[in-house]
Amino acid sequence: MSGNIRGFGYLESLPPVTFRRLYQQPATALAIFRRMLPNLAKTIVTTLLYNETPVALGDLEALVRPESYRLACYAFSKLRRLHIITENNLDVSLDPVFKKNFRLALTGGHVWLLSGGDNRGDHHSFGVPCNTEDKKKITVQFLDDYATRQFEAILHYMVGTHNEVKPSKGVITLLTKGGLMERHGAGSVATITKNGFSFLLQDGNPQIWALLIQYLEMSEELGMEQTDVLHFLLMLGSLELGQAYSVNTLTETQKLMLADLRDYGVVYQRKSSSDRFYPTRLATTLTSESGGLRSASASMSSAMVKDAEEGKGFIILETNYRVYAYTDSPLQIAVLNLFVKLSTRYPNLVSGRISRRSIQEAIKMGITADQVIDYLSAHAHPQMRKSLVTLPPTVVDQIRLWQIEGERMRTTTGFLFKDFHSTQEFEEVAKYAEELGVLKWKKPARRCMFVTRHEQIADWLKRRASAQQQQLKKAAA
Amino acid sequence: MDTVDASVHYSQAIDEKPSLLVLILDTNPYAWSTLSATLPLERALASILIFLNAHLAFSHANRVAVIASHTKSARFLYPTTTTTTTTTAAAAASGSEDPLRDANKYRQFRIIEDQVQASFAELMNQTTAGELVDAKETMMAGALGLALGYVNRLVRVDDGGVLGAGAAGEVTSMNARILVISVSGDLAEQYVPVMNSIFAAQRKKIPIDICKVAGETVFLQQASDTTRGIYMQLEHPENLLQYLMMCFIPDTATRRHLVPPTQINVDFRAACFCHKNVVDIGFVCSICLSIFCTPPEGAICTTCNTKLDISALGNFGGNPAVVLTKKKKTKKLKQSKATSFSNEASATSTPGTPAS
Repeated sequence: MSGNIRGFGYLESLPPVTFRRLYQQPATALAIFRRMLPNLAKTIVTTLLYNETPVALGDLEALVRPESYRLACYAFSKLRRLHIITENNLDVSLDPVFKKNFRLALTGGHVWLLSGGDNRGDHHSFGVPCNTEDKKKITVQFLDDYATRQFEAILHYMVGTHNEVKPSKGVITLLTKGGLMERHGAGSVATITKNGFSFLLQDGNPQIWALLIQYLEMSEELGMEQTDVLHFLLMLGSLELGQAYSVNTLTETQKLMLADLRDYGVVYQRKSSSDRFYPTRLATTLTSESGGLRSASASMSSAMVKDAEEGKGFIILETNYRVYAYTDSPLQIAVLNLFVKLSTRYPNLVSGRISRRSIQEAIKMGITADQVIDYLSAHAHPQMRKSLVTLPPTVVDQIRLWQIEGERMRTTTGFLFKDFHSTQEFEEVAKYAEELGVLKWKKPARRCMFVTRHEQIADWLKRRASAQQQQLKKAAA
Repeated sequence: MDTVDASVHYSQAIDEKPSLLVLILDTNPYAWSTLSATLPLERALASILIFLNAHLAFSHANRVAVIASHTKSARFLYPTTTTTTTTTAAAAASGSEDPLRDANKYRQFRIIEDQVQASFAELMNQTTAGELVDAKETMMAGALGLALGYVNRLVRVDDGGVLGAGAAGEVTSMNARILVISVSGDLAEQYVPVMNSIFAAQRKKIPIDICKVAGETVFLQQASDTTRGIYMQLEHPENLLQYLMMCFIPDTATRRHLVPPTQINVDFRAACFCHKNVVDIGFVCSICLSIFCTPPEGAICTTCNTKLDISALGNFGGNPAVVLTKKKKTKKLKQSKATSFSNEASATSTPGTPAS
C-alpha cells in the first residue's frame, strides 16, 4: 500500500499553531492556496477575500448547486482542516493572518493596488534575486542536468544499480529513516523496502515531496524550526528557473537546508560558501499541482526533468501481455523488473511479459495494480498513444483482476446505528448518511446501518431532536 | 480532527484542468470619464490586475491574456507580441532598481502587471484628443475576434492529439473563457461581426462572461446567454473587485457546481443591417436572413442582392384586416356531451341515437 509514504497531504495534519505561523508569509499562503485546495474551495476563498464582514455559512452553501453538495462538504472540510476559515456561530470568515498575507501575495504590496486596510509588507518571501553577474553563467540546461543527475543517483542507489554519482550520507540516512530502505545489522548494505518500491513507481513530483516531508520530520529532530523549513520549501516553488537568488536574506535554518537540498538536486550552489543559489526544475515545480504537471504543462515545455530526459515514453505493451521497453537505463529496467518477467535484453531494448505471477509478486511487495497501470500509461511509447486507449484494455482489466484475487474481504472500521424509533426516522438518517458519503451498509428490515464516521450524524440527530421539541412546544403553546 | 468529512471518498484527485482567461477591457476613455466619480479607470485596472493574479494563483498552469478594446482598434495588452522597448525597459528598471522590493512579489504576477501597465500607458499616450471626438463606440468585435483567435491557438496546441487521433485519454486541453468588462453602450454598428464571434464561441464551447460596469448593450447580453456565460450588471461599480472575485473567478469546470448569478430576462432583439437600429419586428431576407427595419430600396437585399417579392408582404404595418369566417356546425357530438345546453345540438341528434 502506498499509504505508508506520506506525500504533500501530510501537511494537513499539522497543528493549527503551525498553520498560523505558516500563513505569515505571503508566498506560503499562496503556495498552500494553490497546491492544497480544490477549485471550489479556492472560489470560496476568493469570495471571502475582499469581504470585510463575515458571511453566513448558509449563504456560502447556497452558492453551490444542491447536486454538488458533497463537493461543497469536501471543500469546506479542506478549508477547516487547513485553518483557512474560522467559524463563529455559523458565520464564516477567513483567518485574518491568511487573509492579510494572501492579499499581500496578490497585490505584491504595490501602493496603487492596495485597497482598504492593507499595509505594504516587506516580507521578501518570494526570494531575493541576485543581481550581480555570476562569474560562470549557469544555464537552464545545466540546472536540468544537475537536478536529473542528483535525483537519479538517489533512485539508482535505491534499486542498487551502479552509478558514477553516489548519493551523500544525508540522503542515505533520509531513505533509511523514511522506511524506503532498511539496513539489516550495522554496516551491511541497505536494501530497498516495500515502501521503497511503491515510491519508485510514483511520479517525480510526489517522489520529491515524499522525500521533503521526510526531511521535514527529520529536521524537527535535529532542532530546526519546522515552519522555517516549510516556508523555505514552499517559497522554492515560486522561484524562477535559471535565476540566481541571494543567500543573505535566508535564516540560519534555511542556510543549513541549502546543503541538504543540494544533495537532492532541488537547488544548485557551486560552493557551499557561495552567496547565491539556483533553484532547479524540481524546486520550481514543487507547488504545481501534481496532476496537471505531466499532461498539461508538457505542451508548455515545462515538463518534468525526468520525462524530458526519457523522451516521451518507451514502453510497448501488447494484448498478449508482452512488454517491450526501448531503454538501456538500469533504473528503468529495475523498475520494470518489479512487475514484468523480463526475458531478453538487447543493447537498446528489453522484452518480457506480464504474468499473473509477476503481478502477484509486485502486489506482495506493496505495489498496487493502479500504480502499475499508471506507470505503464505514463511511459507508453508514442506508437501506443496513437490509439484511442493507450493500453490494451484486456491487459489493464486483467492486472486489476489479479489484484482483486487477493482481496476477497475488506474491513472497514466504523459504527453501527440501530434501534431507530420508526422506519421514517431510519430512512431519514440513512439518506443523510448517504449524502455525507459515510454510509457503508444498511438493512431497512432490521433498521440498522453501518457508517464510517458518526460525529456529524450524531450532531444532526441532536439538532433535529431539538427542532422537533421546539415545534412541539410551539404546538402546545 | 474528529469531525466527519466526506473527503475519504474523494481520495482520487478530482480532475482539474488548467484554464485560460482572456479578459477584454473596454478602454473607451469617453465612457470611463463618466464613471470617474465612482470607479476611476486606474482603480478598475488595479482591481482587474488583482483578479488576474487570483486567477493565476488558482493553478500553476493557468494562463491569462488581456485585450484592450479601444475606440477604433483592439490590441493585446498582454501578452504583447512585439515587446516594445518601453515594456522591457520598465521591467528591467523595476528589476534592477530594488531587488528587495522585487522579492515581495510573485514573479509571474509582476511580469503581467508590468506589461499590462506599460502597454496600457502606451495605448493611452497614442490616443489623441482628435480621435476621441464622438467616439462612443468600442471595438468589441475586433477584440472578440482577437480573443477567439488566441484561445484557438493556445487550446489547439494541447488538442494536437485529438486532431491526430492520438491518445484521447491523455490529452487535457485547457478550459478557456472570455471575460468582457464593458463600459460603453450600443454595439449596433458591429452587430454582424459581434454575432459571428458569439456563434464561433458557442461552437467552441467558450463561455463569454460579461461584466457590465455601465451602459447597456443588447448584444453582449445575448453573447453571454448563447455561450452560457455570466452576465452581470454591476449595481455598485465601485465594488468591481468584489464582483470579479466572487462571480467571475470560477472556471468552467467549477461552475458546474455553482448556482450561477441570476440573469434576468435577456433581450433577444437584433439590429437591422441597413440603419443599425435595434428592432423589435423587422423584415428578413428569405435567402440570407439579413434583417431590415424597412423593406430595402428597390426590393433588393443589400447583402445577397436577391430580388425580393415585396408584394407578398401585403399591407404589412397597416391595420390588420379581420376576416370573418363562418362558424362550422359540429356535426357529430359524443353521446355524453350531447346532453348539452346547445339547442342546435339537440336539434340534429337526440340523445342516445347515433348521428348517422
